[in-house]
Order: sequence, then structure tokens, then C-alpha cells
Amino acid sequence: MLNYALLLHAAPYSHQAALSALRFADTVVANGHRMKTVFFYHDGVHNASALMAPPQDEVHLADGWKRLHQEHGTELLVCVAAGLRRGLLDVSEANRHGAVSHSLEAPFELTGVGQLIDAMLTSDRMITFAP
Amino acid sequence: MMLHLLNRSPRSTATYQDLSEAFGADDHLLLIEDACYAAQASASAALEPFGGRVSVLQEDLVSRGLAERIDPSVGVIDMNGFLALTETHERCVSWF
Repeated sequence: MLNYALLLHAAPYSHQAALSALRFADTVVANGHRMKTVFFYHDGVHNASALMAPPQDEVHLADGWKRLHQEHGTELLVCVAAGLRRGLLDVSEANRHGAVSHSLEAPFELTGVGQLIDAMLTSDRMITFAP
Repeated sequence: MMLHLLNRSPRSTATYQDLSEAFGADDHLLLIEDACYAAQASASAALEPFGGRVSVLQEDLVSRGLAERIDPSVGVIDMNGFLALTETHERCVSWF
């Protein structure tokens, strides 16, 4: 069994990369490996939006990531600097910045790039998906 | 021994050039997303630098209607095959 980490740079629905990454993550767990961490960086932070509401007959990417966390314990780490710039704020950041609402909830976590380095060091494989 | 993951169409000539310069003797190239267009028989010049050590992801190929147009030197693999390549190659670099 190998520990996998994914680095996702791409926004949902704009490019194929987010869907490619989710399909790959599903394949990882289906083959008995551990899908340890997904790190959302740059426009990839939009995958973590709690307000995502795609049509019901399309893949719901945020729910797909959440399912990985719920069923396989995958960490869903969102770069805080990339997130704040793009309006991805959890309750505490929304309060701190006086925003009208928050847009990011658990199991997604706002974290720093240090957590990306940690994921690289503690995983057997790191696969990058980008636009 | 490195796995190279490429998602750009062969029109991105600079990316293919950079990749060919970094491609080692034991490396393998997997074409995903729009890079599937490079697997067409008519585009085979784009893959010449990679010495036949090239695979293409079947579902991305099928979704682009390219399944019948593939150069026979390119191996077609599914998502399980993609995962298997990451198992056997300790390092994976993405080109985009």
C-alpha cells in the first residue's frame, strides 16, 4: 500500500484537471492505496467552495472531495493565501475580514504551504493536476 | 526512472520541446486530457523524441473521439493502468 498526495492547481469545471484528479483519487482508493492528502492551490482552491451548486445531473466536485474525506479520511487542504484572495474563507477568516458570509467549511481546511511540503515528505507519491 | 504526465495538445510545441529535453532513457510518458491528440497517427512526429515509451489514457481518448485514430506505437491504458504507472515510477512530474 502506498500513500498518495495530489496537488490540484485547476479550478472546477473550467478545465478537465479537477475531474481528472478526482477520478485518479477514486482509483487510488479502489486499488487499496491510501489517498492521504489533496492540496488545493492557485485556482484549485475553488474546488473547496461550500457554495458550489452545479446542475444535479453533473458531477459535484466539492461533494466528490468530501466523500473521499468521509469514506477514506483524506485530508483536504486549501492554501490559505490562494483561498483568501479568491473569496474562500472559513468562519473565522470571514469574521476576521468582516465578510458577509463564509464560503469554506470542514472537511476542507485552510492551511499554509508548509502543509504541502509536509504532504510531499510524508507521502510515497505526489501527483500534480493542473489546467 | 520517472513518469511524465502531459495534458497539453501537440500545438503546445514549447512544452513538448522542454519535456523532450528532460526525458531520460528509462522514463515513461503518459498522455492525458488534450495530450491525447498527440497519440493520433497523423501527429506521430510530436512523440518521436520519446522512443516509444508512451501511453495514452483510454477514457480521455474515447471522450475526444480518437479511439480509432491512434498510432500503434502508443499503448492505451485505463485509470488502473495510470495508477499502476505511478506505482512503478517513484517520481511523477506533470507538464502543463
